[in-house]
Amino acid sequence: MSGMKKVVAPEYNLSDKIKTHAYAIGTAMEESVYPHTATVLYPREKKKMPDNFRGYILFDPDKCISCFNCSFVCPANAIRMKEAPNNRYYPTIDYGKCIFCHFCIDSCSGGALRTTKIHDVAYKDVDEMFTSTEEMIEPPEIIREDKKSVEYVIDETDLHLKRKKERDGLFVEAVPPVEIPMVSQCVDRGSCLACKICERVCESGAASSVVEEATMTVKMAIDAEKCTGCGLCVKECSMQILRLVRVRK
Amino acid sequence: MKMAAETKVGEAEWEVKIPEKKLKDRLFFENLKAMVIDTQLCSRCLTCVSICPGGLLVNEEDVVDFPDFEDKCLDCGACVRVCPRYDYKPKSGLGDYIEFTAGQSKRFKGQDGAMGTEFIFSAMDMGLIDRGIFVDRDEQWRTSVFHVRGKEQLEKLPLGGTKYVFADILPELKKAVTFTKKGVGVVGTPCMVSGVRKLQEEFPIFKEKVKLVVGLFCTENYHYAEVSKYLIGKGVDFSKLIKTDIIKGKFVATMTDKEVKFKVAKLDDILPSGCSRCTDFTAVESDVSVGSVGSAAGFSTTVVRTETGKEVWDYIKKMGNAEVGEGKVEELDFLINHKKEREKNIQL
Repeated sequence: MSGMKKVVAPEYNLSDKIKTHAYAIGTAMEESVYPHTATVLYPREKKKMPDNFRGYILFDPDKCISCFNCSFVCPANAIRMKEAPNNRYYPTIDYGKCIFCHFCIDSCSGGALRTTKIHDVAYKDVDEMFTSTEEMIEPPEIIREDKKSVEYVIDETDLHLKRKKERDGLFVEAVPPVEIPMVSQCVDRGSCLACKICERVCESGAASSVVEEATMTVKMAIDAEKCTGCGLCVKECSMQILRLVRVRK
Repeated sequence: MKMAAETKVGEAEWEVKIPEKKLKDRLFFENLKAMVIDTQLCSRCLTCVSICPGGLLVNEEDVVDFPDFEDKCLDCGACVRVCPRYDYKPKSGLGDYIEFTAGQSKRFKGQDGAMGTEFIFSAMDMGLIDRGIFVDRDEQWRTSVFHVRGKEQLEKLPLGGTKYVFADILPELKKAVTFTKKGVGVVGTPCMVSGVRKLQEEFPIFKEKVKLVVGLFCTENYHYAEVSKYLIGKGVDFSKLIKTDIIKGKFVATMTDKEVKFKVAKLDDILPSGCSRCTDFTAVESDVSVGSVGSAAGFSTTVVRTETGKEVWDYIKKMGNAEVGEGKVEELDFLINHKKEREKNIQL
């Protein structure tokens, strides 16, 4: 067949032959004394993970605005929002379904969800894989047997394992998200009942109402300066006519 | 999710007009209770229950009630704004219509021509609405309300429709209105139709989202507990029941093995007070009214009243979804007058 190239062994002169043989003997002697391994001796040592490793997810309720974005975006339907005693909705993760795509973390506008380097969590059964909000706040109980961290180093000729006598940290400083200031706004004022539920649930005092007995009108207002964009009124509005909208700077 | 619209800071104030209280210094619910519920005017259309942000509900006795309203009532006045009987202007007669006709659906089976179902699904096919509120009943005649978004869902509701028992349609309509993208279609009794019209009058969201209102000819409905007890007493076995009808003043329940017949007038003892004060037989405020009376067996009398109703009816005819029959206006006179006589029961 034309186009095929004949492979010819390179021509070695004597000095090249001595050099390559000496290198081979040297490597053999080195390996016989201190053998290299290509594998990581887990769990006594652990591979060093990159900072943006997609692992076990932690949750900070103080930053959560109950926007449901994580549960909407989850392609595996692993995230369910559950009502907490304080009337807010917080995520729960079923690790039996989670595919660790971390779309939830990417979509979290408050930065309440963050990644860790924890990836080796053991469960006794499938039900246990359902992780409640409380369990997401603190990392799971970890017994660390590893003493060393291992890194793969690729140089010109080969792939080496670089061992360090220090353990890799499991927690990463979360990159603060770009804050998008949102405020609650009524999109269909004519359909407002003036039930004042928004005023009742508002924690920042942004929603207010004034009843004017003389004219039988209720003046409703949402002060955009005070509104923190938490979304509680949006969720509670009985007519579902409040929306979180972006603040134009 | 929709992209949030951008907005300027500080333009979020609005006013809501609330109605005058007839009983000053009392909560709006107490007004409603005094004017409508305690005076036996309430038709149990549940318009108030659907709109109430607090805790208006139907209690065990099947009466509209608000347990611990002292604590939970938000006093917003929504209930009296929407109640069709708070400021009751009884409607009666045949009402305005564009076309008086009859139809028999070729696609669906029902008690008569199944035109209520046909109107909703044709409107869905037209793209006018994306969901309809349907009522189903179980073998014991208990009702439950469904949001139907496609024909295939209807196959799972084997019995279809309610028979002279109240159904909680409007609270589901409210939910549907917040979910829907295109619009909602609803089939209801005349009192519910009036309730929907009141909601549309007061709140633009209903005007925008409730696209098709099909009214049913209705003489009366019964509370489930009372009518089931009565019928069982008469020897009706719900599990064997095939159909029920009111023919020439007689209530006929056809079962697999026998037939139970008795005069409808005998049911007057359990006639709900709200129905005894209702004068609207044909649902005059609807887009389309359908019913059994006024057409041949197997057909539904169809009264097309509004432009929307006419559009859907024209679509049904164009697509050949229904056999067109003949409606006889004069056959309705007896029941229209029968209900008009109930005006004497109303003491405002």
